[in-house]
Amino acid sequence: MNFFKRAILSITRKKGKSIILLAVIFILGNLISGAISIQQATGNVETTIKEKLGTAATVELDYEAIEKMDESEMMELEIEELDLELIKQIGELSYVKYYDFSTSTYLGSETIKSYQGEGMEEEEVMYEGPSMDFMLKGINHAPIIDLEEEKGKLVDGRVFTPEEVENGAPVAVISKKLAELNNLHVGDNFTLINEVYSFDESNGEDKLVTSRDLVLEVIGLFEPKAVKNDAEESEEGMYDFMDIEYQNTIYVANEVVSSEMRYNMEEYMKVDEEMAAAMGEEEITDYYTPLFVLNKPEDTEAFEEEVQPLLPQYYKVTNASDQYDSIAAPVESMSKLSGYVLLVAVIATILIIGLVVLLFLRDRKRELGIYLSLGERRSRVVGQIVIEVMIVAVIGISLSLFSGNLLAQSVSDTMIDAEAEKQNSEEEMYYSELQTDVTTDDVLESYKVELDPGYVGIFYLVGLLTILVSTIIPLIYIVRLNPKKIMM
Amino acid sequence: MILEAKDLNYYYQDGESRRYILKDTNATFEKGKFYTILGQSGSGKTSFLALLSALDSPQSGAIMFSGKDIKQIGYDKYRRNNVGIIFQSYNLIPALTAVENVLVPMSITENEIPEDKKTVAYNLLDYIGIVKSKADRLVNKLSGGEQQRVAIARALATNVELILADEPTGNLDEEMEQEIIDIFKKLAHEHQKCVIVVTHSNEIAQQSDQTFHLKKGVLSSHE
Repeated sequence: MNFFKRAILSITRKKGKSIILLAVIFILGNLISGAISIQQATGNVETTIKEKLGTAATVELDYEAIEKMDESEMMELEIEELDLELIKQIGELSYVKYYDFSTSTYLGSETIKSYQGEGMEEEEVMYEGPSMDFMLKGINHAPIIDLEEEKGKLVDGRVFTPEEVENGAPVAVISKKLAELNNLHVGDNFTLINEVYSFDESNGEDKLVTSRDLVLEVIGLFEPKAVKNDAEESEEGMYDFMDIEYQNTIYVANEVVSSEMRYNMEEYMKVDEEMAAAMGEEEITDYYTPLFVLNKPEDTEAFEEEVQPLLPQYYKVTNASDQYDSIAAPVESMSKLSGYVLLVAVIATILIIGLVVLLFLRDRKRELGIYLSLGERRSRVVGQIVIEVMIVAVIGISLSLFSGNLLAQSVSDTMIDAEAEKQNSEEEMYYSELQTDVTTDDVLESYKVELDPGYVGIFYLVGLLTILVSTIIPLIYIVRLNPKKIMM
Repeated sequence: MILEAKDLNYYYQDGESRRYILKDTNATFEKGKFYTILGQSGSGKTSFLALLSALDSPQSGAIMFSGKDIKQIGYDKYRRNNVGIIFQSYNLIPALTAVENVLVPMSITENEIPEDKKTVAYNLLDYIGIVKSKADRLVNKLSGGEQQRVAIARALATNVELILADEPTGNLDEEMEQEIIDIFKKLAHEHQKCVIVVTHSNEIAQQSDQTFHLKKGVLSSHE
C-alpha cells in the first residue's frame, strides 16, 4: 500500500470528488487547448505567408513620414534622389543574393493588341488620348529577377545577355499570352509607339505632338507562375488587374526605357516652353527603383539596420515580409485574442484548481494526519496528493485536447467568416515595387487548426504545468500540518 | 527497560508565566508489561502520551527508547519503526478497507515485514477478532469495537515492541471495553510487548501491571 497505490485508491473510491476535479480541469483545459490551437495555427500562418512573401527588399520614400509633416516642413522639403552608386553599394552587401534596379514607362502600339483578360480577346477597348497598354519594364540584372524569384517562368527562348543589358539592345521578353494573342514567336519583331502629347488647356484635350516607333525583337516568352484559375477569384477585379498588367509587361534593358523616356521628355519640352524654362540646363535624370533579394528571411532585420544609415533623408527600407502585418490583420487579431484567453485561462486554472485542491485537502485533514502519525514522510504525502491530481489532470487534459481543438476550429471559423466579410468591404493596400499576389484570402486559407504533434506537446506541457503549479500552492497546507493537533 | 522519560518538562507559555503540564517527570517502562496512565480530564495524560509517541516534543528532558534519545532517532523515524499508536477515535482511513488500513503502515515502516504482506494483515486482523469477510469491508461499515480492533491490528502491523494507546475504550461499551483490554494484556504478557494505555477508568487501571497517576503535572507510580 505505497503512496502511489493509495493515490489510485483515493481516486477510484472517492468518485464524486474525482469527477468534480475532472470536470473543472476539463472545462479549464478546453480554454487552454482552444487558445493554444489558435496560437499554433496563427504561428503556422505567419511562417507560411512570410515564406510566400519571399526575401525581397527595396528602398523607397517614407511616405508615412512625409504625410505627417506640417505645412512649413513640407515647404522646405527637398528630396534627394537615390544615387545609382548607392544602390550598387547596397547590392554588394553580404546579405544580398542578387539585386536589380529598374525604371519603367508605358507605351502603346498600333500593330499589336494588348491582353485584356480571358474571353476579352474580341472586345475592342476604345479610348482617346495616349495609348499606354504596355508596361516597358527595365532591368539591369540580365537573368530577370522576377523570373528568378518565380513570379514568372521562362517558357520559350532565353533571357538577356549582360552585353544586351549594357548596350540597351532592342530585344524583349514578353508574356506567352501576349505573344499568342499577336501571333508572335521568339525571333519575331514587334513595334511599340512612343507618342508625345501636349495638354491643350483651352479645350482640356490631349494633343499628339510627335511620335516614334520602337522596334523590339522577341528573345523569350514568360508565363506568370501563380496562375489562379479559380473562376470565382478571377471575378475579383484586383486580381484580374494585376494579372492583366503582368501579361502586358515587356522586359527590356533599362537603357531602352531611359532612351524612350528621354525622347518623350525632350520632345515635350519643345512645346512646353514654361517647363523648359523651369528645367533650364538641368539634365534629365533617370529614376531607378532598386530591388534586393536577400539570402534568407532572417537577414531582413540586419539588412535594414545596415542599410538605413546609408540612405538619404526621407528614404526607408521596405521588406516584402513587412506586408505580412497588413494582409494578415485578421489572423493577427485572433492571435492576440487567443494570447489573452490563454493568459486568463492559465491564471484562472491556477486559482480555481488551487482552491478546489485546498478544499479537498481540508476535507482530508484527518487522513493526512494519520499518515504523518504513522511516520510517513511529508514528501510522500505531498507526492500522493500530486499523483492524485495529476492522474485526474492527464485524463481531463486528454479529453479537452480534442474538444478544445474542435472548439478552436468552430470559434476560428466564425471569426474568419466575420473577418473575411469585413476584409471584402475594406480597401486593400498594395506596395508598389514589392507588390504581391499574396492576399488576405491566402492568409485565411492557410489558417488551419490542426491536431499536430507540436500542438499536442505544447498543450500537455502548458496544461499539466499549470495544474502542477496550482496544486503546489495548497500543498503548503500539508507541510504545516501538526499530527498531534489533528489526532488527539 | 524499553522506554524512559527523563526529567520531562512540558508547559504552555502564558505571557510571563508558565503553566506546567508535566514537571520534572520521570518514568520507566519495560517489555512484557501492561501500563496505564490514570488521571482526570485535563491532567496532562494525553500530552504525556503525545510526548512518548513523538507526536510532540518536550521543552526540556528526554525520552529514551532502548537507551537512545528519540530526538536523535528522529521523531518521524521513531513513529515509523518503533511505536504503534492507538487513538480514542480510531483514526482509520475511511476510503480504505480494514485490511488496506493495516497494510498502510507496512509500506511506511523500514522494519522487515514478510513478503506476503496481505496474508500477514489478514492474520493480524483474525488474531484481533476481525474475520476475512469483515477485513475486506470499508472501515466505516464496521462497528466502533471492530474499528478499534482494526486500529490495534494497524499498530501491530510493523512488528513494534511498544504500543501506546490514548483512551482506546473511550467510545466503546463495557463489554467491548473488556475485550480490548484483554487484547492488550495478551499482547503484553504473551507477546512481550510494552503496552501503555492512557485512561481515566479505574477499572482498566486495576487490570494493568503498573499504574501512573498524573495530577497537577506530577507523575506518581503504583504497582
